[in-house]
Amino acid sequence: MSSHESFDDLEARLLDLGASLDVPAPPPADVAAAVRTRLATGATPESASGTAPEPAPEPAPGTAPGTAPGTAPGTAPEPAPEPAPETPAPKPAPELAPEPARKRRPARPGIRRRRWTVVVAVVLAVVAVTAATPQGRAAVTAILRYAGIELRLGETPAPVITPTTLPGEREVEPRRLGSLVAFTVRTPAALGPPSAATVGDDGRVASMFWPDGIRLDQFDGTMEPFFFKRLGPPHPQDVPLGTTTAWWIGGSHPLGYIERDDGTSVPLRQAAPTLIWQSGAVGYRLEGAGTKERAAEIAASLR
Amino acid sequence: MDDDEAIGRSLAGDLSAYEALVTRYSALAHRTAALLGAGDEAEDVVQEAFVKAFRHLSSFRRDAPFRPWLLRIVANETHNLNRSRGRRSELTARLGATAEVAAPDDPAGTAVATDRRARLLDAVRRLPERERQAVVCRYFLQLSEAETAQVLDWPLGTVKSSTHRGLARLREGVGGELA
Repeated sequence: MSSHESFDDLEARLLDLGASLDVPAPPPADVAAAVRTRLATGATPESASGTAPEPAPEPAPGTAPGTAPGTAPGTAPEPAPEPAPETPAPKPAPELAPEPARKRRPARPGIRRRRWTVVVAVVLAVVAVTAATPQGRAAVTAILRYAGIELRLGETPAPVITPTTLPGEREVEPRRLGSLVAFTVRTPAALGPPSAATVGDDGRVASMFWPDGIRLDQFDGTMEPFFFKRLGPPHPQDVPLGTTTAWWIGGSHPLGYIERDDGTSVPLRQAAPTLIWQSGAVGYRLEGAGTKERAAEIAASLR
Repeated sequence: MDDDEAIGRSLAGDLSAYEALVTRYSALAHRTAALLGAGDEAEDVVQEAFVKAFRHLSSFRRDAPFRPWLLRIVANETHNLNRSRGRRSELTARLGATAEVAAPDDPAGTAVATDRRARLLDAVRRLPERERQAVVCRYFLQLSEAETAQVLDWPLGTVKSSTHRGLARLREGVGGELA
């Protein structure tokens, strides 16, 4: 079958082997019905991401319908935010399973969660804001989700005046940090050991602090978004980081926290320029490094 | 209803027509996802791919075949899944029951054939990723070189060279029994 040599015994054996492989698949009619159910609540190809399906059953950000695939900025109802065309690969962005998918497959409760892993880790998923409140609709033109952080892009937001700490945030000995959270805590070699550390939200986030105002948050980046950031222009810039892409948010911006139970957005404080990225299941945000280059250098030194 | 008619009706919003397309390509899509490394998440990958294909249907060129266009989305989804897991794609397929009953009146011969298949499968599994993907597409999925190039989003030359290197490596690995 290769163009430059005759079909030989090995190729025949490979074809025979392929034919004998057992690949389990559900009945095609079931797949078709599941796909149809999902599409029925979504959009037609022409109006792709523009149509708002039925109101989301819960106003949590994770259920915002009408996800616009990252490779089709032309079909998005609004101009796609800057980072979309620069996502790591020219592939359709994975998107959330709308409710019906979950209803149809009660035996596999992990699916939605696992999809989230895909969502946050692969590319920035661009979500047209259709389920937001009227106020939200006016101020936010697009939401990007990456590494457990939801970026709400829109007009330049008013700064957060009264800083708040994360729920349950408490100071811990830096060397004990690793034993207090469910994921592996890493330290940037470029900065050395932190001078202080905190754990927040029942071990969902670990934070390290250095004397010159640098703060590194590490958090479970696989589930629902954990932090949100409200951003006006300029939009985030991509920064190559090893085999992945980090995003640099160059201006000071309101940072908040998304409550696990009901998705309520809790403003925390005005954050300095920040680099965000993900490695494995952990999301990172590095704040206070000053420049994009310095932040990338620190990020690359995580051990 | 052929593919083109089903696509035309799907574009007009006819979900029944799209359902027919999904039914037609479901098995192949699952096979592609599983053999390219989606493992036990092939079902999720396929459902996602069909939803995405529908949403992107307007970008499909009607004069081109639907099959490789769809399989490329499946391959993308599989690739994205593995990348998000930070894992290498693996060929997890097992030899099917059909291998066992190939020659029911010749148990010894069947056992030998099964053993040969198992060893070849093992050798394919151990190929470097690109070579394995090329071999899987060309022989296990029986795609043409051009289709393979489209599905994997590689240049045609890369398909040819990866297939060639993969076959050469397989000949080295299981060469003795080919003689």
